[in-house]
Amino acid sequence: MADYIAEDNKLTLKVVFYGPALSGKTTNLMQLHTLLNPERKGELMVLETRDDRTLFFDMLPIGLRSGSGLDLRLKLYTVPGQVQHDSTRKAVLSRADGVVFVADSQPSQQDNNANAFGNLEENLEKVGLDIDSLPMAVQFNKRDIPGVVEEPVLQKRWAATPWAPLVMASALQGQGVLETFQVLLDRLYTAVDQEFDLAGTHSIDRDTFIQRLSASHGLHHA
Amino acid sequence: MRNFEDDPSLQDLLTDDQLQRLTAGLSALCREPVRIGTDRSDHAVPVEFNLETVGWLSGGGSDDERRAAASLVSFLMMFVAKYRLAANLHHDTTEASYAELQRQNEALRASEARYRELSDQLQEKVDEQVALIKGVQQDLYESAKLRSVGQLAAGVAHEINNPIGFINSNLGVASDYVDELQDLLPDTESNRELLADFRDLITESIDGTRRIARIVADLKTFSSIDQADYTLCDVNDLLRSAAHLLQTNYGHQLEIMEQLAEIPAIPGHPAKLSQTFYNVLDNAAQALRDGDREQADQRIQIKTASNGEEVLIVIQDNGCGIPDDIRSQVFDAFFTTRPVGSGTGLGLTVARDTLHAHRGSIAIDSHEGSGTRITLTLPAH
Repeated sequence: MADYIAEDNKLTLKVVFYGPALSGKTTNLMQLHTLLNPERKGELMVLETRDDRTLFFDMLPIGLRSGSGLDLRLKLYTVPGQVQHDSTRKAVLSRADGVVFVADSQPSQQDNNANAFGNLEENLEKVGLDIDSLPMAVQFNKRDIPGVVEEPVLQKRWAATPWAPLVMASALQGQGVLETFQVLLDRLYTAVDQEFDLAGTHSIDRDTFIQRLSASHGLHHA
Repeated sequence: MRNFEDDPSLQDLLTDDQLQRLTAGLSALCREPVRIGTDRSDHAVPVEFNLETVGWLSGGGSDDERRAAASLVSFLMMFVAKYRLAANLHHDTTEASYAELQRQNEALRASEARYRELSDQLQEKVDEQVALIKGVQQDLYESAKLRSVGQLAAGVAHEINNPIGFINSNLGVASDYVDELQDLLPDTESNRELLADFRDLITESIDGTRRIARIVADLKTFSSIDQADYTLCDVNDLLRSAAHLLQTNYGHQLEIMEQLAEIPAIPGHPAKLSQTFYNVLDNAAQALRDGDREQADQRIQIKTASNGEEVLIVIQDNGCGIPDDIRSQVFDAFFTTRPVGSGTGLGLTVARDTLHAHRGSIAIDSHEGSGTRITLTLPAH
């Protein structure tokens, strides 16, 4: 949505965690809520769920204030993965500035990954966005489960796409979650900087953007 | 329109009543009354929601009380906001789904219109085919009728020719025997009368067999039993045969005047041409019967002429004529003015189709009460 309100000097960006059902989108967000320690972090809002499945969406707002006084907000959303909630997915996806695609590494889920990716492409088109130009990170989750598809196989499969290299993760263990988020922030910075001149006007360079938004408890960044 | 994800203001989250109850409750917990508003006053602390300052809390007994109260309000806000966000999202998706449904409805309607159009075109095509089938059926009916008439005529001609042959030759021999009997019998008044009467009987019988033979010959010509489909036709001969047959049908009561000029033989289908001439002549005879003229004044005229390129056949009667209002219908299939069962309504239809098949034409000139003239034109080559 890249919503800039000049009178408040406030820029709001929207990142959506997309992917097949039960791939760990909400887990990613919960881990970010736990791991992240940015300057500003709001409450993680988990909306209605049933049997641990997201019905509406989850949302985590984080933010920073730049030296020039820019109030930069990042709202992280998840979508419901189940097929029947497509209209909700579409509503959440509209005006997104970036997408994290959370795929399931289990061999039995590869078809679901492909279907969800196709659904993402379709819905992006419906809300007027182009999958080729939208900043996106692709994560293969659940690496802790035995028998998952080997990483070299996955990396090779995705090598020719704009989203290589993939990030391997085990969200339940908190592994790969921050890395995925940082890859997304890196790609997001390129697009946002082009539109809003973050470096020039607001003195936020790429490194500041990534480090300050993904600062964690372990590696606190001043 | 606001999006479900827009940051809510204090008014979005709580009504005035709810805000009043909330401050009353908080005031009861604190040592001094508490106020929540959108304006920042001295010692006020922010009430935050989603990193957003939605209001300011002032009053209370101390800074700690204000902070504790503000934190409690923020905590409550989150649950209100959750409900609000879910409700807004539900509203958004319902509207989007409804718009999608309407779009699909439009598409369905368009496709239904397309199918209706197709179905209309289908009706047109069916009508076309029905007309075609009707035409073909009529042709079949005509050719079957022609064939059965031809077969009947062939059979009759074959069966009658033999007995007529020996009756005729026997009558000749019988005539000779009368001559011989005359020499043998005594020459008395009564014998002479008897023999004269006998001769008359034989002569009348010979005349009768000759007439039968001619009718058979006419039938053969008419049905063209021994002719190929397309051949050189002597139109005058065909007309004569048709006229004779007509006379036979009408008991030799008709006055038919023939003015047949020298015309070239033309290529054509003799049976079909004969049928055409007969149909036109039959119409003329019917018109005479339906007209007001005395029997003695009724007449049919057959004329032929040729200019080298075309052969012209005119068949004219002074019968009842064709009323103006039905003249345009006389060539329509199954159109007839005659009582049910007496006419097929195909006479002139077949005539026109036959003329067209011979690259000729048919023209009608008629005045009600004074008569009808049919002009048939056929190419000579």
